[in-house]
Amino acid sequence: MELSMSGGALRTFSRCVTCLARIGSDLVFQAYPDKLELHTLNSSRSAFASVSLTRDFFDHFHLPADAYADAAPSSTPLQCSVLLKSVLAVLRTPTSAIDRLNASLPNPQASKLEFVIHCVSGRKKTHRISCSAESDVQTLALDRNGFPSRLAIRPRDLTRLLSNFQSSLQELTVIATEPAARLPGVDDGTGGKAVELLSYIDPTKDDYDSRLHTQLWIDPAEEFLEYEHAGDPVDVTFGVKELKAFLTFCEGCEVDILLFYQKAGEPVLLAPRFGFDDGSSSNFDVTLVLATMLVSQLNDGSVPQQPPTSAHHAEEPRAAAAAPSPVPENVSNHTRIWSELSGLTPKSFEANAENRAQKERNGRANVLNDTSVLPNTNAPCKLPVTYNANYIEQPVQMDHLEEPPG
Amino acid sequence: EAWVQGAGMSSSTTSGQGQGDEAPDLVCVVDCVHGMVDALSCVRWNKHQGAVVELSEHGIVVTVEESGCLQAKVYLKTELFAEYDYGAEGRPRFGLSLGLLVDCLNMFTVPGFASPVGIRYPGPDMQLLLRSVGSPDACIHAEIRTRIPDTVAWDYHFEHAGNTPVTFTVKSAILKESIDDLEWPGSSIQIHFHPDPPSVIFKGEGHGDLEIEFSYYANTDLLIAFQCDQELSYRYKYKFLRATTSNVPSSVLKENRGSKVTIGRGGMLKIQHLVSVARLGTQSYHNFAGGAQQPSRIAFIEFFVKPEEDD
Repeated sequence: MELSMSGGALRTFSRCVTCLARIGSDLVFQAYPDKLELHTLNSSRSAFASVSLTRDFFDHFHLPADAYADAAPSSTPLQCSVLLKSVLAVLRTPTSAIDRLNASLPNPQASKLEFVIHCVSGRKKTHRISCSAESDVQTLALDRNGFPSRLAIRPRDLTRLLSNFQSSLQELTVIATEPAARLPGVDDGTGGKAVELLSYIDPTKDDYDSRLHTQLWIDPAEEFLEYEHAGDPVDVTFGVKELKAFLTFCEGCEVDILLFYQKAGEPVLLAPRFGFDDGSSSNFDVTLVLATMLVSQLNDGSVPQQPPTSAHHAEEPRAAAAAPSPVPENVSNHTRIWSELSGLTPKSFEANAENRAQKERNGRANVLNDTSVLPNTNAPCKLPVTYNANYIEQPVQMDHLEEPPG
Repeated sequence: EAWVQGAGMSSSTTSGQGQGDEAPDLVCVVDCVHGMVDALSCVRWNKHQGAVVELSEHGIVVTVEESGCLQAKVYLKTELFAEYDYGAEGRPRFGLSLGLLVDCLNMFTVPGFASPVGIRYPGPDMQLLLRSVGSPDACIHAEIRTRIPDTVAWDYHFEHAGNTPVTFTVKSAILKESIDDLEWPGSSIQIHFHPDPPSVIFKGEGHGDLEIEFSYYANTDLLIAFQCDQELSYRYKYKFLRATTSNVPSSVLKENRGSKVTIGRGGMLKIQHLVSVARLGTQSYHNFAGGAQQPSRIAFIEFFVKPEEDD
């Protein structure tokens, strides 16, 4: 495999690597006749990021013909795996100082992947990184058309929304409902907040009380470029670190963010939104698949009966959890329901904390396993992964609800 | 000058120990302390380093070394000083802490109080005396204890490898960046001179390999000078190589100065930098390739690195 890139493509490549490096530690290169794919999987197997670069992305793209049994794109790709921090070391040279970057892997069994940087100054830097040509690599392919719901948002708008949350927040819950119908006489500023963002804090952790809990109600018409959701409210809870890595990537490439989702436990898919034709004109694409928490914040049975303004919990230290809900009087039933749920009172929460904690221990499996299922099946809540062979790690967290694979 | 004979300084004249009868070895005035600090900081790769200072009628030389493998010299010629009165016979040498000297000089560069510094050696107790001069209203006074240098300074006579020197000159900023890049493979760096086609390659091997090639024909600006009539290749410990550029002052990088790299007989590596010690009020200038418009206002820095022994 021999590649060469420069200019804008090089900058995009650098951003891709930076994004992937914030998610996983190993980078898998897969070279097909018509494209190069880069993948990484995080250590807890809850995030899978994939970059696809077509031939046109590169100034020069050459694969030896004999690397393939046949020329079909589906044939076994030429692949190798390197440490992301090694690739980051290569890209430490600022792209503005680089005339062009060449990458080459002489043969599938080569032990080193070579990067040659031709600097503007005239220097030539040659990096050789040890790689392992693992024959068994996991990949993940989700059809974005298989998701019932989606939203699109500008990176700067998402940054602004996320800035309301504690910067150390690890997980975020997105609750999506049908956009409220525009009711006559309703003040536009208060109605129709069909989406909620909630900080998710693990209730079993000791610092639960001292963490900042934040809830944000959003009008999709104001904040999102697109919003499609029909039917019952759903919630998805996923990692913020990976979301922010993807956000930074989209910001750098000046593209908007698409989020595809289904429901709690099913993975979410993030992708850049290239214009209106869904990426067909772009020579690169990035997808991020995040596993979501099995436990839904909506349906876990800990629905409090008291409204959030109840007075008898005034002495509880966790009063911060019950932010006053700005629910106006004449909103849809759906909106009211989930606002009450999210405005959990400390007293009821305490009663349900143990219940919730037990469910956490049982059901907390943001884990990829080897069940090759599509998102719209009834299999419990794993990131589906297709395998070529036995490259399987033990899931970090056991899930008692998990059905046996296969 | 007034302060040599003035009150407070001349207890020795009345002490009866006889020192008051002798003129000091050196009395000088530095008018750009900041530049002096830059030059001395260039050779400060460790927090605690002992230096040997040698005085002569040509100027001051400060030598620092480590482990017998790395040595650096700072040449401060008389032209750098506003005044330089040398009164010794022979060449007095003394040891002191380089860090103390630099930190002490830094005290005189307090903003709003940038005045020339007078330096005198020896004091009554063989110490180095420093004093701000030029302001009638206030004075900063310092003294630094010196010691007899423990060992004879490693005085290496650099010899060229062959009939002609094997050397190249490149912008200091690029040399520094290259050595910084080589931190990634680390440990041991090979420098390879190639006469034809003319190029120099720095190579490091570790958990990953990195090769940096400076090719004479790649870009007319890259190698400012190149001379090599034989193929040469030696290895050096990365941490010593790193010390030669890690503290290059930013003025050197901004002024686009060049650094000269030479390999001598036996593989001894010599790296030379130029640091400007401009007079107060002199306009700063930018001169490509390091040619100084006022050569007398330059401090010369030399690093020597011994090669690693081949197994």
